[in-house]
Amino acid sequence: MTDDQLEERIRAAAREYNAPPETPREEMWARIAEARRGRAPEPRVIPLHRRPWRWAALAAAAAAILAVGVGIGRVSVAPEVSVWEAPAAQGAAYRLAAQEHLGQSEAFLTLFRASLRQPGEHRLPAASARQLLATNRLLLDSPAAVDPKTRLLLEDLELVLAEIAQLSPSSRAEDLELIRKGIEQGDVMPRLRTAVPAGSAPTQGVS
Amino acid sequence: MQPGLEWLPAPLSQPFRPHRCPIAEDRDPHAPEPVSDAELIDRVLAGDPDAERALYDAHVDRVFRLVYRMAGDLDRAQDWVQETFIRAFEKLADFRGESALSTWLCSIAMSVSLNGLRKVKRFREREVALDDALPIGFTPREADPDLKTRLARAIEDLPEGYRAVFVMHDVEGFTHEEIGRALGVQPGTSKAQLFRARAKLRQALADFAGDRNL
Repeated sequence: MTDDQLEERIRAAAREYNAPPETPREEMWARIAEARRGRAPEPRVIPLHRRPWRWAALAAAAAAILAVGVGIGRVSVAPEVSVWEAPAAQGAAYRLAAQEHLGQSEAFLTLFRASLRQPGEHRLPAASARQLLATNRLLLDSPAAVDPKTRLLLEDLELVLAEIAQLSPSSRAEDLELIRKGIEQGDVMPRLRTAVPAGSAPTQGVS
Repeated sequence: MQPGLEWLPAPLSQPFRPHRCPIAEDRDPHAPEPVSDAELIDRVLAGDPDAERALYDAHVDRVFRLVYRMAGDLDRAQDWVQETFIRAFEKLADFRGESALSTWLCSIAMSVSLNGLRKVKRFREREVALDDALPIGFTPREADPDLKTRLARAIEDLPEGYRAVFVMHDVEGFTHEEIGRALGVQPGTSKAQLFRARAKLRQALADFAGDRNL
Protein backbone atom coordinates (compact mmCIF):
# COMPACT_ATOMS: atom_id res chain seq x y z
CA MET A 1 0.00 0.00 0.00
CA THR A 2 1.34 3.41 -0.92
CA ASP A 3 1.44 6.38 1.44
CA ASP A 4 -1.40 7.95 -0.50
CA GLN A 5 -3.53 4.86 -0.11
CA LEU A 6 -2.73 4.76 3.60
CA GLU A 7 -3.71 8.41 3.81
CA GLU A 8 -7.03 7.63 2.16
CA ARG A 9 -7.61 4.71 4.52
CA ILE A 10 -6.87 6.88 7.52
CA ARG A 11 -9.24 9.59 6.35
CA ALA A 12 -11.98 7.09 5.68
CA ALA A 13 -11.52 5.46 9.07
CA ALA A 14 -11.42 8.87 10.76
CA ARG A 15 -14.99 9.50 9.65
CA GLU A 16 -16.07 6.76 12.00
CA TYR A 17 -13.99 8.01 14.91
CA ASN A 18 -16.34 8.32 17.90
CA ALA A 19 -19.33 8.24 15.56
CA PRO A 20 -22.06 10.13 17.42
CA PRO A 21 -25.47 8.57 18.02
CA GLU A 22 -28.69 10.51 17.53
CA THR A 23 -28.75 13.71 19.57
CA PRO A 24 -30.61 13.14 22.85
CA ARG A 25 -32.30 16.54 22.54
CA GLU A 26 -35.09 16.24 25.07
CA GLU A 27 -32.98 14.62 27.76
CA MET A 28 -30.32 17.29 27.55
CA TRP A 29 -32.82 20.14 27.32
CA ALA A 30 -34.63 18.94 30.44
CA ARG A 31 -31.38 19.19 32.40
CA ILE A 32 -30.40 22.52 30.88
CA ALA A 33 -33.80 24.00 31.68
CA GLU A 34 -33.60 22.65 35.22
CA ALA A 35 -30.13 24.08 35.72
CA ARG A 36 -31.26 27.42 34.29
CA ARG A 37 -34.21 27.51 36.67
CA GLY A 38 -31.89 26.74 39.56
CA ARG A 39 -29.43 29.46 38.66
CA ALA A 40 -31.67 32.27 37.51
CA PRO A 41 -32.93 34.35 40.41
CA GLU A 42 -36.58 35.29 40.47
CA PRO A 43 -37.00 38.74 38.97
CA ARG A 44 -37.86 41.30 41.60
CA VAL A 45 -39.13 44.79 41.03
CA ILE A 46 -38.03 47.20 43.72
CA PRO A 47 -39.37 50.69 43.01
CA LEU A 48 -36.59 52.46 44.88
CA HIS A 49 -36.99 55.56 42.80
CA ARG A 50 -40.54 56.12 43.97
CA ARG A 51 -40.09 56.03 47.70
CA PRO A 52 -36.41 56.34 48.56
CA TRP A 53 -37.17 57.72 52.02
CA ARG A 54 -38.80 54.44 53.05
CA TRP A 55 -35.65 52.43 52.28
CA ALA A 56 -33.45 55.04 53.90
CA ALA A 57 -35.59 54.86 57.04
CA LEU A 58 -35.45 51.05 57.06
CA ALA A 59 -31.68 51.09 56.60
CA ALA A 60 -31.28 53.62 59.40
CA ALA A 61 -33.49 51.55 61.70
CA ALA A 62 -31.53 48.37 60.91
CA ALA A 63 -28.22 50.15 61.55
CA ALA A 64 -29.52 51.49 64.87
CA ILE A 65 -30.71 48.06 66.01
CA LEU A 66 -27.37 46.56 65.02
CA ALA A 67 -25.43 49.24 66.92
CA VAL A 68 -27.57 48.75 70.03
CA GLY A 69 -27.12 44.98 69.81
CA VAL A 70 -23.35 45.25 69.50
CA GLY A 71 -23.25 47.70 72.39
CA ILE A 72 -25.29 45.45 74.68
CA GLY A 73 -23.13 42.50 73.74
CA ARG A 74 -19.91 44.32 74.57
CA VAL A 75 -21.17 45.46 77.94
CA SER A 76 -22.85 42.25 79.07
CA VAL A 77 -20.54 39.51 77.81
CA ALA A 78 -17.05 39.09 79.19
CA PRO A 79 -14.34 38.65 76.57
CA GLU A 80 -13.33 35.06 76.10
CA VAL A 81 -10.91 33.22 73.92
CA SER A 82 -12.80 31.44 71.23
CA VAL A 83 -11.74 27.92 70.38
CA TRP A 84 -12.57 28.36 66.73
CA GLU A 85 -12.83 31.43 64.63
CA ALA A 86 -13.57 31.38 60.96
CA PRO A 87 -11.92 34.50 59.61
CA ALA A 88 -12.02 35.31 55.95
CA ALA A 89 -8.72 33.58 55.26
CA GLN A 90 -9.96 30.30 56.70
CA GLY A 91 -13.22 30.60 54.82
CA ALA A 92 -11.28 31.11 51.60
CA ALA A 93 -9.05 28.12 52.36
CA TYR A 94 -12.12 26.00 52.97
CA ARG A 95 -13.68 27.07 49.70
CA LEU A 96 -10.47 26.23 47.84
CA ALA A 97 -10.26 22.81 49.46
CA ALA A 98 -13.93 22.16 48.75
CA GLN A 99 -13.57 23.16 45.10
CA GLU A 100 -10.53 20.93 44.72
CA HIS A 101 -12.43 18.04 46.23
CA LEU A 102 -15.56 18.64 44.19
CA GLY A 103 -13.49 18.86 41.00
CA GLN A 104 -11.83 15.54 41.76
CA SER A 105 -15.16 13.98 42.63
CA GLU A 106 -16.62 15.19 39.33
CA ALA A 107 -13.77 13.60 37.39
CA PHE A 108 -14.08 10.40 39.41
CA LEU A 109 -17.81 10.09 38.85
CA THR A 110 -17.36 10.88 35.15
CA LEU A 111 -14.95 7.96 34.88
CA PHE A 112 -17.21 5.78 36.96
CA ARG A 113 -20.16 6.37 34.66
CA ALA A 114 -17.97 5.83 31.62
CA SER A 115 -16.78 2.52 33.07
CA LEU A 116 -20.40 1.38 33.34
CA ARG A 117 -20.97 2.07 29.66
CA GLN A 118 -17.70 0.67 28.42
CA PRO A 119 -16.79 -2.35 30.50
CA GLY A 120 -13.19 -3.30 30.05
CA GLU A 121 -12.01 0.21 29.25
CA HIS A 122 -10.36 0.82 32.59
CA ARG A 123 -10.19 -0.23 36.20
CA LEU A 124 -11.91 1.73 38.88
CA PRO A 125 -10.05 1.78 42.17
CA ALA A 126 -12.27 1.51 45.20
CA ALA A 127 -9.37 3.20 46.96
CA SER A 128 -10.14 6.40 45.05
CA ALA A 129 -13.72 6.35 46.29
CA ARG A 130 -12.55 5.72 49.86
CA GLN A 131 -10.02 8.54 49.66
CA LEU A 132 -12.63 10.94 48.31
CA LEU A 133 -15.04 9.75 50.97
CA ALA A 134 -12.53 10.58 53.72
CA THR A 135 -11.95 14.06 52.31
CA ASN A 136 -15.68 14.53 51.93
CA ARG A 137 -16.24 13.69 55.60
CA LEU A 138 -13.48 16.09 56.68
CA LEU A 139 -15.09 18.88 54.69
CA LEU A 140 -18.51 18.11 56.11
CA ASP A 141 -17.18 18.09 59.67
CA SER A 142 -15.27 21.34 59.25
CA PRO A 143 -16.67 24.26 61.27
CA ALA A 144 -16.15 26.35 58.15
CA ALA A 145 -18.78 24.30 56.32
CA VAL A 146 -21.47 26.93 56.68
CA ASP A 147 -22.78 27.18 53.13
CA PRO A 148 -26.00 25.10 53.09
CA LYS A 149 -25.79 24.45 49.34
CA THR A 150 -22.28 23.03 49.59
CA ARG A 151 -23.23 20.99 52.65
CA LEU A 152 -26.18 19.46 50.84
CA LEU A 153 -24.01 18.61 47.85
CA LEU A 154 -21.34 17.05 50.08
CA GLU A 155 -23.99 14.98 51.87
CA ASP A 156 -25.38 13.65 48.57
CA LEU A 157 -21.86 13.01 47.34
CA GLU A 158 -21.06 11.08 50.49
CA LEU A 159 -23.88 8.65 49.81
CA VAL A 160 -22.73 8.02 46.24
CA LEU A 161 -19.07 7.64 47.20
CA ALA A 162 -19.93 5.28 50.04
CA GLU A 163 -21.86 3.06 47.63
CA ILE A 164 -18.98 3.01 45.15
CA ALA A 165 -16.41 2.36 47.89
CA GLN A 166 -18.33 -0.76 48.86
CA LEU A 167 -18.25 -2.22 45.35
CA SER A 168 -16.22 -5.34 44.88
CA PRO A 169 -15.33 -7.50 41.88
CA SER A 170 -18.35 -9.64 42.70
CA SER A 171 -20.80 -6.73 42.69
CA ARG A 172 -23.84 -7.27 40.53
CA ALA A 173 -24.78 -5.18 37.53
CA GLU A 174 -27.92 -4.10 39.39
CA ASP A 175 -25.80 -2.53 42.13
CA LEU A 176 -23.93 -0.49 39.56
CA GLU A 177 -27.17 0.53 37.88
CA LEU A 178 -28.62 1.66 41.20
CA ILE A 179 -25.60 3.87 41.83
CA ARG A 180 -25.84 5.32 38.33
CA LYS A 181 -29.50 6.10 38.83
CA GLY A 182 -28.73 7.66 42.21
CA ILE A 183 -26.22 9.98 40.57
CA GLU A 184 -28.68 10.99 37.89
CA GLN A 185 -31.76 11.37 40.06
CA GLY A 186 -29.89 13.50 42.56
CA ASP A 187 -28.52 15.70 39.76
CA VAL A 188 -25.14 15.17 41.34
CA MET A 189 -23.11 15.84 38.20
CA PRO A 190 -24.77 19.14 37.22
CA ARG A 191 -24.53 20.33 40.83
CA LEU A 192 -20.86 19.37 41.00
CA ARG A 193 -20.18 21.22 37.79
CA THR A 194 -22.04 24.26 39.06
CA ALA A 195 -20.04 24.21 42.28
CA VAL A 196 -16.69 23.97 40.52
CA PRO A 197 -15.78 27.18 38.70
CA ALA A 198 -15.14 26.91 34.98
CA GLY A 199 -11.52 26.26 34.17
CA SER A 200 -10.58 24.80 37.53
CA ALA A 201 -9.18 21.33 37.46
CA PRO A 202 -8.18 18.75 40.04
CA THR A 203 -4.49 19.58 39.95
CA GLN A 204 -3.43 19.51 43.55
CA GLY A 205 -2.35 16.20 44.89
CA VAL A 206 -2.08 14.77 41.42
CA SER A 207 1.24 13.21 40.68
CA MET B 1 -7.76 22.91 -5.24
CA GLN B 2 -9.32 24.83 -2.40
CA PRO B 3 -7.70 28.23 -1.85
CA GLY B 4 -5.26 28.26 1.01
CA LEU B 5 -4.48 24.56 0.80
CA GLU B 6 -2.02 24.71 -2.08
CA TRP B 7 0.86 23.97 0.25
CA LEU B 8 -0.55 20.59 1.19
CA PRO B 9 0.37 17.41 -0.67
CA ALA B 10 -2.24 16.53 -3.28
CA PRO B 11 -4.11 13.79 -1.37
CA LEU B 12 -4.51 16.07 1.63
CA SER B 13 -5.66 19.12 -0.25
CA GLN B 14 -9.30 18.10 -0.47
CA PRO B 15 -10.52 17.99 3.10
CA PHE B 16 -13.35 15.70 3.88
CA ARG B 17 -16.68 17.53 4.37
CA PRO B 18 -18.99 15.08 6.04
CA HIS B 19 -22.04 15.46 8.20
CA ARG B 20 -22.31 19.25 8.32
CA CYS B 21 -25.28 20.01 10.45
CA PRO B 22 -28.14 20.98 8.15
CA ILE B 23 -29.10 24.17 9.93
CA ALA B 24 -30.08 26.15 6.88
CA GLU B 25 -29.70 23.64 4.06
CA ASP B 26 -31.95 20.65 3.43
CA ARG B 27 -34.81 22.42 5.10
CA ASP B 28 -38.41 21.38 4.59
CA PRO B 29 -39.75 23.85 2.00
CA HIS B 30 -43.11 23.94 3.79
CA ALA B 31 -41.62 24.73 7.15
CA PRO B 32 -42.08 28.24 8.55
CA GLU B 33 -39.41 30.79 7.78
CA PRO B 34 -36.52 30.26 10.17
CA VAL B 35 -35.82 32.92 12.73
CA SER B 36 -32.41 34.55 12.48
CA ASP B 37 -29.82 34.06 15.21
CA ALA B 38 -29.84 37.79 15.93
CA GLU B 39 -33.58 37.77 16.52
CA LEU B 40 -33.35 34.68 18.70
CA ILE B 41 -30.59 36.26 20.76
CA ASP B 42 -32.65 39.40 21.32
CA ARG B 43 -35.61 37.33 22.45
CA VAL B 44 -33.49 35.16 24.76
CA LEU B 45 -31.98 38.28 26.33
CA ALA B 46 -35.49 39.63 26.81
CA GLY B 47 -36.31 36.50 28.83
CA ASP B 48 -38.33 34.53 26.28
CA PRO B 49 -38.06 30.81 27.23
CA ASP B 50 -39.37 29.70 23.82
CA ALA B 51 -36.49 31.52 22.18
CA GLU B 52 -34.04 29.68 24.44
CA ARG B 53 -35.44 26.39 23.26
CA ALA B 54 -35.43 27.52 19.62
CA LEU B 55 -31.79 28.58 19.87
CA TYR B 56 -30.94 25.25 21.46
CA ASP B 57 -32.81 23.31 18.77
CA ALA B 58 -31.07 25.21 15.99
CA HIS B 59 -27.55 24.44 17.20
CA VAL B 60 -27.63 21.39 19.44
CA ASP B 61 -26.97 18.83 16.70
CA ARG B 62 -23.75 20.41 15.57
CA VAL B 63 -22.55 21.00 19.12
CA PHE B 64 -23.45 17.46 20.16
CA ARG B 65 -21.66 15.92 17.19
CA LEU B 66 -18.50 17.85 17.90
CA VAL B 67 -18.55 17.20 21.63
CA TYR B 68 -19.29 13.51 21.18
CA ARG B 69 -16.33 13.18 18.81
CA MET B 70 -14.12 14.64 21.51
CA ALA B 71 -15.68 12.76 24.44
CA GLY B 72 -16.27 9.35 22.90
CA ASP B 73 -18.80 8.62 25.61
CA LEU B 74 -22.51 9.44 25.71
CA ASP B 75 -22.70 10.48 29.36
CA ARG B 76 -19.70 12.73 29.09
CA ALA B 77 -20.93 14.21 25.82
CA GLN B 78 -24.36 14.94 27.29
CA ASP B 79 -22.80 16.57 30.35
CA TRP B 80 -20.51 18.74 28.26
CA VAL B 81 -23.25 19.79 25.83
CA GLN B 82 -25.46 20.75 28.75
CA GLU B 83 -22.61 22.76 30.25
CA THR B 84 -21.98 24.40 26.88
CA PHE B 85 -25.54 25.68 26.56
CA ILE B 86 -25.80 26.70 30.21
CA ARG B 87 -22.64 28.78 29.83
CA ALA B 88 -23.80 30.12 26.48
CA PHE B 89 -27.12 31.34 27.89
CA GLU B 90 -25.32 32.93 30.82
CA LYS B 91 -22.85 34.74 28.57
CA LEU B 92 -25.14 35.50 25.67
CA ALA B 93 -25.20 39.20 26.51
CA ASP B 94 -21.44 39.25 25.88
CA PHE B 95 -21.80 37.79 22.38
CA ARG B 96 -20.82 40.60 20.02
CA GLY B 97 -21.62 38.88 16.74
CA GLU B 98 -18.02 39.00 15.53
CA SER B 99 -18.41 35.38 14.45
CA ALA B 100 -21.42 33.22 13.68
CA LEU B 101 -23.38 32.11 16.72
CA SER B 102 -22.67 28.47 15.81
CA THR B 103 -18.92 29.18 15.84
CA TRP B 104 -19.21 30.92 19.19
CA LEU B 105 -21.12 27.94 20.59
CA CYS B 106 -18.50 25.56 19.19
CA SER B 107 -15.77 27.59 20.87
CA ILE B 108 -17.53 27.17 24.21
CA ALA B 109 -18.10 23.48 23.47
CA MET B 110 -14.42 22.95 22.70
CA SER B 111 -13.38 24.81 25.84
CA VAL B 112 -15.72 22.67 27.96
CA SER B 113 -14.58 19.47 26.20
CA LEU B 114 -10.86 20.17 26.48
CA ASN B 115 -11.26 21.15 30.11
CA GLY B 116 -13.22 17.96 30.76
CA LEU B 117 -10.62 15.82 29.00
CA ARG B 118 -7.86 17.43 31.08
CA LYS B 119 -9.72 16.69 34.29
CA VAL B 120 -10.26 13.06 33.31
CA LYS B 121 -6.63 12.68 32.23
CA ARG B 122 -5.31 14.09 35.48
CA PHE B 123 -7.63 11.94 37.50
CA ARG B 124 -6.56 8.82 35.61
CA GLU B 125 -2.92 9.65 36.31
CA ARG B 126 -3.79 9.96 39.96
CA GLU B 127 -5.67 6.66 39.88
CA VAL B 128 -2.65 4.83 38.52
CA ALA B 129 -0.61 6.05 41.48
CA LEU B 130 -2.86 4.26 43.94
CA ASP B 131 -1.54 0.86 44.92
CA ASP B 132 -4.65 -1.01 45.93
CA ALA B 133 -6.59 -0.56 42.74
CA LEU B 134 -9.37 -3.09 42.45
CA PRO B 135 -11.25 -3.91 39.30
CA ILE B 136 -15.03 -3.90 39.59
CA GLY B 137 -15.75 -7.02 37.68
CA PHE B 138 -14.41 -6.01 34.30
CA THR B 139 -11.52 -7.45 32.36
CA PRO B 140 -9.25 -5.47 30.04
CA ARG B 141 -10.29 -5.50 26.40
CA GLU B 142 -8.23 -7.56 24.02
CA ALA B 143 -5.87 -5.69 21.75
CA ASP B 144 -7.52 -5.10 18.41
CA PRO B 145 -5.28 -4.84 15.36
CA ASP B 146 -8.05 -3.24 13.35
CA LEU B 147 -7.11 0.04 11.66
CA LYS B 148 -10.09 1.89 13.12
CA THR B 149 -9.21 0.84 16.64
CA ARG B 150 -5.58 1.74 16.18
CA LEU B 151 -6.53 5.03 14.60
CA ALA B 152 -8.85 5.87 17.48
CA ARG B 153 -6.04 5.25 19.93
CA ALA B 154 -3.61 7.25 17.83
CA ILE B 155 -6.04 10.18 17.71
CA GLU B 156 -6.48 10.03 21.46
CA ASP B 157 -2.69 10.06 21.88
CA LEU B 158 -2.34 13.23 19.81
CA PRO B 159 -1.44 16.42 21.68
CA GLU B 160 -4.56 18.29 22.72
CA GLY B 161 -4.33 21.02 20.06
CA TYR B 162 -3.61 18.61 17.23
CA ARG B 163 -6.48 16.39 18.25
CA ALA B 164 -8.93 19.27 18.43
CA VAL B 165 -7.97 20.52 14.98
CA PHE B 166 -7.97 17.04 13.45
CA VAL B 167 -11.40 16.20 14.83
CA MET B 168 -12.87 19.54 13.82
CA HIS B 169 -11.39 19.57 10.28
CA ASP B 170 -11.01 15.99 9.10
CA VAL B 171 -13.84 14.41 11.06
CA GLU B 172 -16.46 17.17 11.43
CA GLY B 173 -15.61 19.23 8.37
CA PHE B 174 -14.97 22.65 9.91
CA THR B 175 -12.94 25.12 7.86
CA HIS B 176 -9.63 26.45 9.15
CA GLU B 177 -11.23 29.86 9.56
CA GLU B 178 -13.99 28.38 11.74
CA ILE B 179 -11.45 26.37 13.73
CA GLY B 180 -9.30 29.45 14.19
CA ARG B 181 -12.23 31.42 15.57
CA ALA B 182 -13.44 28.56 17.77
CA LEU B 183 -10.03 27.77 19.26
CA GLY B 184 -8.73 31.33 19.31
CA VAL B 185 -5.82 30.67 16.91
CA GLN B 186 -4.88 31.89 13.44
CA PRO B 187 -6.12 29.80 10.49
CA GLY B 188 -2.46 29.24 9.58
CA THR B 189 -1.84 27.72 13.00
CA SER B 190 -4.82 25.45 12.47
CA LYS B 191 -3.41 24.31 9.11
CA ALA B 192 0.00 23.68 10.60
CA GLN B 193 -1.45 21.68 13.49
CA LEU B 194 -3.57 19.62 11.11
CA PHE B 195 -0.52 18.89 8.97
CA ARG B 196 1.43 17.73 12.03
CA ALA B 197 -1.53 15.72 13.35
CA ARG B 198 -1.81 13.86 10.05
CA ALA B 199 1.92 13.23 10.01
CA LYS B 200 1.78 11.80 13.52
CA LEU B 201 -1.13 9.56 12.57
CA ARG B 202 0.67 8.31 9.45
CA GLN B 203 3.69 7.59 11.63
CA ALA B 204 1.61 5.78 14.25
CA LEU B 205 -0.08 3.64 11.60
CA ALA B 206 2.92 3.17 9.32
CA ASP B 207 2.88 -0.59 9.74
CA PHE B 208 -0.48 -0.69 7.95
CA ALA B 209 1.20 0.63 4.82
CA GLY B 210 2.68 -2.82 4.25
CA ASP B 211 -0.57 -4.66 4.92
CA ARG B 212 -2.21 -5.54 1.62
CA ASN B 213 -5.17 -7.17 3.29
CA LEU B 214 -6.76 -3.93 4.45
